[in-house]
Amino acid sequence: MTAPTLICSKNQENGLNIKKMKNSDSIGFKLLDQFRDGRNDKIWWRVFALLMIATVATRFYKLDQPDHVCWDEAHFGKYANFYINRTFFFDVHPPLGKMLIGLFGYLDGYNGSFHFDKPGDKFEEHQYMGMRIGCAVMGALLVPLSFLTVWEMTFSLPAATFGGLLILLDHGMLTLNRFILLDPPMLFFISAAIYSMVKFHNQRHRPFSLPWWSWLSSIGVMLSCSVAVKFVGIFVVIFVGCRTIADLWEILGDLSRPVSYTVKHFMARAICLIAMPTLLYMGIFYIHLAVLSNSGPGDGFYSSAFQVGLKGNYLHDGSTPRQVAYGALLTLKNAVTSGAYLHSHDHLYPEEIGGSQQQITTYAHKDDNNNWHVKRHNKLAPSWNSTRPIDFVRNGDLLRLEHFATGRNLHAHRSLAPITIKQFQVTGYGLDGVGDNNDIWRLEIEDGEEGQILETMLHRFRLIHYNLGCALTCTKKKLPAWGFEQDEVTCNPNRRDPNAIWNIEENIYPRLPNVSFRAYEKNFFQRFIESHVVLINGNSALKPKEGEATSKPWMWPINLRGQFFSGGQLQVYLLGNPIIWWGNLVFMVFYLILWVSVGVRTKRRITVTQREIMLQERALSACGWLWLGWLLHYLPFWGMSRVLYFHHYFPALLFSSMMSGILLDYVIESIPLSLPKNSFNASYAAILSATLLILFYSFYLFSPLVYGLVRYADTNSTMHHLHWLSTWEF
Amino acid sequence: MGDTEVKNRKVNRNKNKNEKNKEIPNPAVDPRDEGDGESTPEALPEELTEEPILKKSASPKKSEKKQRKAGSATAGQSLADLPTLAVTCHFNLLPMLLFGVALATRFYALDQPNSIVFDELHYGRYAGLYQKQTFFFDSHPPLGKQLLALAGYLGGFQGDFKFDKIGSSYNASVPVFAMRAVPALTGSLLIPLVYMIMLQLNYSQWTAALAGFLFLFDNALLTQSHYMLMEPIILFFAMSGVLCVLKFRALERSGNAQAHSYSLRWWGWLLSGSIFLTCALCVKYVGVYSYLLGLALVGHDFWEKVLGNLSLTKKQVFGHAVARFFAFFVVPLMVYIGVFYIHLTTLVNAGPHDSAMSSAFQASLEGGLSSIVRGQPLEVVHGSQVTLRHAHGSPCWLHSHAANYPVKYADKRGSSHQQQVTCYVAKDINNWWIVKRPNRTDLAVAAPLDRISHGEEIQLVHGITGRNLNSHNVAAPASPTKQEVSCYVDHNVSMPAQDVWRVEITNREEIGDVWHALESMVRLIHVNTSVALAFSGRMLPDWGHNQHEIVGDVMVNQPNTIFNVEEHRYTRNEDEKDRQLELMTTDFIPLEPVVMGFWEKFFELQIRMLFISNENVQNHMYTSSPWEWLVLTRGIAYWVSPDSNAQIHLLGNIFIWYSATIALAAYCSLLVFYLLRQRRQCFDIHEEAWNQFRTTGEVLLLGYVFHFLPYFFVDHTLFLHHYLPALAFKLLLNAALVEHLYYLTRLVFAKQFFNWMCVLIVLTWMSGILMVFNKFLPLCYGLGPMNATQILDLKLRETWDFIVHKP
Repeated sequence: MTAPTLICSKNQENGLNIKKMKNSDSIGFKLLDQFRDGRNDKIWWRVFALLMIATVATRFYKLDQPDHVCWDEAHFGKYANFYINRTFFFDVHPPLGKMLIGLFGYLDGYNGSFHFDKPGDKFEEHQYMGMRIGCAVMGALLVPLSFLTVWEMTFSLPAATFGGLLILLDHGMLTLNRFILLDPPMLFFISAAIYSMVKFHNQRHRPFSLPWWSWLSSIGVMLSCSVAVKFVGIFVVIFVGCRTIADLWEILGDLSRPVSYTVKHFMARAICLIAMPTLLYMGIFYIHLAVLSNSGPGDGFYSSAFQVGLKGNYLHDGSTPRQVAYGALLTLKNAVTSGAYLHSHDHLYPEEIGGSQQQITTYAHKDDNNNWHVKRHNKLAPSWNSTRPIDFVRNGDLLRLEHFATGRNLHAHRSLAPITIKQFQVTGYGLDGVGDNNDIWRLEIEDGEEGQILETMLHRFRLIHYNLGCALTCTKKKLPAWGFEQDEVTCNPNRRDPNAIWNIEENIYPRLPNVSFRAYEKNFFQRFIESHVVLINGNSALKPKEGEATSKPWMWPINLRGQFFSGGQLQVYLLGNPIIWWGNLVFMVFYLILWVSVGVRTKRRITVTQREIMLQERALSACGWLWLGWLLHYLPFWGMSRVLYFHHYFPALLFSSMMSGILLDYVIESIPLSLPKNSFNASYAAILSATLLILFYSFYLFSPLVYGLVRYADTNSTMHHLHWLSTWEF
Repeated sequence: MGDTEVKNRKVNRNKNKNEKNKEIPNPAVDPRDEGDGESTPEALPEELTEEPILKKSASPKKSEKKQRKAGSATAGQSLADLPTLAVTCHFNLLPMLLFGVALATRFYALDQPNSIVFDELHYGRYAGLYQKQTFFFDSHPPLGKQLLALAGYLGGFQGDFKFDKIGSSYNASVPVFAMRAVPALTGSLLIPLVYMIMLQLNYSQWTAALAGFLFLFDNALLTQSHYMLMEPIILFFAMSGVLCVLKFRALERSGNAQAHSYSLRWWGWLLSGSIFLTCALCVKYVGVYSYLLGLALVGHDFWEKVLGNLSLTKKQVFGHAVARFFAFFVVPLMVYIGVFYIHLTTLVNAGPHDSAMSSAFQASLEGGLSSIVRGQPLEVVHGSQVTLRHAHGSPCWLHSHAANYPVKYADKRGSSHQQQVTCYVAKDINNWWIVKRPNRTDLAVAAPLDRISHGEEIQLVHGITGRNLNSHNVAAPASPTKQEVSCYVDHNVSMPAQDVWRVEITNREEIGDVWHALESMVRLIHVNTSVALAFSGRMLPDWGHNQHEIVGDVMVNQPNTIFNVEEHRYTRNEDEKDRQLELMTTDFIPLEPVVMGFWEKFFELQIRMLFISNENVQNHMYTSSPWEWLVLTRGIAYWVSPDSNAQIHLLGNIFIWYSATIALAAYCSLLVFYLLRQRRQCFDIHEEAWNQFRTTGEVLLLGYVFHFLPYFFVDHTLFLHHYLPALAFKLLLNAALVEHLYYLTRLVFAKQFFNWMCVLIVLTWMSGILMVFNKFLPLCYGLGPMNATQILDLKLRETWDFIVHKP
């Protein structure tokens, strides 16, 4: 499964072409032969230049249109603002892509003043072009990268040209890469990683040389960048991993070298593909956290200790006693992602919910109703000016929590919780702190030792109901209007529920010395790890809502349904070029058939001509890897439970288009073989031009989808006849 | 281990062979590894004499080999032709003994506790519904439930028991013993099965017995086999299938494969293999992984042995391909369809799960919907009174009621303040609509019938309020990007009625152009704005009584826009008051009932089972993740006694589970080590041993991976018992690894002493397993009063949540 080497493949090509040259006389055929040969630098550069011109033309034409926010620009533009204003935010993707967008905007002089509220908002005088251009440049680079990748894999100029053309002429790739989105940087890094990989592979005869090292490190850099844009970058890491293992396996099999030679190779890869990218990735996060130093809308997603580090957050300058003592006034925060404060207010549960006792909820905002008095289960809270020794709250203690404003105790009993009916209801009960046995909770500090003193912020703990044995939990389900749409709090018999963990945020107790909150501030590694926990939770929490129309992975390759980027007067609709997409599917099946038939032929020792073997080897070895890449970037989506979108297919499309390019070349080379000999060049030229014509025409046909389709009220618009599938909505 | 019986018999039989056996002690492992092995496999001194058994079971193979070389058919060949299965069973008491113990453990106190344990709640209920021939919907295929139902039927179960909640006591009408006997028996049969699988993989009898031992004394397998649960059944089918496929492979790989081709045995193993594997699939869809394993093994052999065999002509190769295709695709399909045929022809009565199916499906069942819709007119005409059911996803009916949209919504948007139109999930008098031609005013149906066809325009009049279904360019309440649908109220604000809809029948290829009740899938297109009447999936707030929102959607081609007429009758009265009264009546014009063929029902059921599964146990207390299964982090509480702390808790034998996990890691490391060494042309072990090791990987490791990895990619709630099929392969791998390590010891150390050490270690390990098994036995059977201390004493890991009543 190795790509043919530069030297041998060129020789083979050469040998073939000399034969063909004989019966080609006209200049056109000569050019054609040179094109097929690909060794002629002049032709090569001309083709490349043509491709580049076309790329620039298509990617930058009418880039400023539509001049309003399109689709997810609303998100990513906003994130760019946050970077420019250095305010902290939360998003489910790692930061690099957004950092780049922010950088593009910054370089262009954009000051982060546009709000990106919702799709359709006019940009007006704001500097949005910098960001668009930055993304478009990264997206445009996909074309030369695919061209070069295919070239390095096959050393066939027609194959490379097709590979580049299929990316160039695909409306989906084009549309996706013209807007302020994460996809252009991500696709760029993925392609660059693949290109570096094949380039590195072709250096294998000169191991440890300078180009060898630089391409190897380039793989590592690109890998960590792709992961740092979106987590789907993991798939390309796996892809490169497979390739690396295969390479090492080859090297190990070379008995003329000692084992230590393999170890040397292994170490080089371990450094450049594992250690260095990891460091780089952490570095990106370091910049991310360093840049976003001001408090912002993302604070609430992170733990109290994390928020301490954000300027402008009320925790940043606050101070509080470190240890918690009986009698202190506390706020309890649910310690999971975007946890809220334990809250109560002077309203009862409705009659039909049962109990008619006071509501307990969680509430995301600071409020006096979040304050609780902590006291021993059998004593009143000591007053703040008492002189008796301070009684600390310790792990395993039995305690009561009294709501400061209403004097009710945190209480649970054997009736159904309002929404999660499998759990018990939690209420506020009692009068002025006098309640009953069902107010008693046992404190269990996570990984704490018996008798350990509870500490503000640093300790995470559970409150276990003494009588029922259940744990105080926030179910994160919204209560209806009677509960002011705050979140439900229950007592959960499953004590291992991650939502049952709380921490103390504020701790007011004058008898103990205050410590600045800064003492709890997390260091970079803790922040790095917490960011990831929050990111991963955030991603898995993106579940499709009931009844919402979601995009399913099976719809993607068949181009079943696109995605509206912009509605209104100027429609932009993300849809693949159907000719290319459906062609890709055909070629994918074709590859499997070819693969099996070659397998059968080898097994049955059926002989074929040398030329056929050469052609097939060239196609098969390269396509095998691309096919694997496609699988790795497509199959995992079948098992994902998060919300999926059409544009998730585009990394896989990169692989599939490059593969189609190679197979197209194979087919165009093979078909004339079955025709009479002397008509080779003529038929080759005919098929080639027909293919190109179809590709260009289909591009022309659907191009209004990219550059903006003026919406007509009636159904007789120019685009109407293009509804090849009834599911296309433009 | 009670082997003496075996010993005595065999001594007499093989006296003269004893000497020889001592020299070549372990023929099943590597008969060609002569000179090296002085020792006996896992040999205890007194057990030496048992070697003949080994000899015996292995001897047919040996003679077979000789015959192959000779290439002639002699008396020996006919001996070889005897099924090995029979030979082993007849002369080998070891598996019989294991089977006996298995039966004893599995059947011990089988009818205790006499109350519903865990998922018996579902499976028992389904078995009961089979007795009543009542339709139910489950996202797993029916074979396992059918077996339970059959056992229940034979035991005299009438299906009268109500399975309400875990822990309720059975009454006398439930043949608990008979129904639990199905998993108990299949669970017991597993043990001789794995014994034979190990022999088939060329392992010695002792290793085979060790594998049986591991299965026998794993608490999880025992617990699971003791109650009406599916895993023992699926494991039985899967293991039988694997065994048959291995037997088939043995034929394929034998020297004179061609002579065996298409023989009775060849067909027998091939077909029974595929049938068993399909049966596993028919119990639960996870059985598909066993099937894939079988397919991979047979396919691989075909590629290597048939395709690669150049002495075969093209025609012969093709014949082999066709035979395998038949066995592994056609036969399974037939079995699968057969199982569903029984399912659908048995369950003819309407039941509790009907609403999961389409109206037509429900109408084909006895009782239930069919009693309502039977005899209702088929063709929708001008004047038809209909209920319109949203045809996909969760059922709801187009609904309106005498309440208007609020003037302003919470987000400050305005509405038309016309009458609300919703989708309501319950049957209600307000679900009735009257179909009307725009140009006619009379409503009573009279001959000739004015049929409505595809493409024609209608109005829909709400039966109770008499208002027309209307839509206009106003944002819908919960989906602002869509268009509001209302029942038209003239507020005199120059907002004209736009209440004409065009009927589009989406399945008119099958049904025809005329609108039929139940069968026609209809889309209603608003004539003025070209939007389609659609279910948006959002819920309206309190003012809309939390019913589902109905909108006009520009996206016409989507499942949410499709409705069908469920209940249907013709209007007979012109007067509105009378009409409203008429709506309350249930007087129908008798016509032909709906008959749905098996295939239609089959495909509908398939689609619902595979694509619309809403099996999502929320936040269950005993869920676990695949990683946790490796180290047995969580069990599942199955049952707890109402009056003591006696309980049933699914937990594996932790000793076995840990060893198996370690064995798995060890096997993989060894495999990588061997592969790397071989890449450098260093061959550390004999070719025979390597072949055995590799085959083990092909069958057992691959089987494990097939059954385990997919769980990382599913998003429904997972429990420990999902791991059991993978565990089965892991336990076999564990036994195989023990023998391989023993082989390695012999290879490295010449001294007898180390072999003894090995045997000793294995024996100690086994006794450890027995002790742990015994310790946790009470949790398998749930017997005896237990106090809190006894339960807490079993809590070896902090994460095991046993249920402890407060004293």
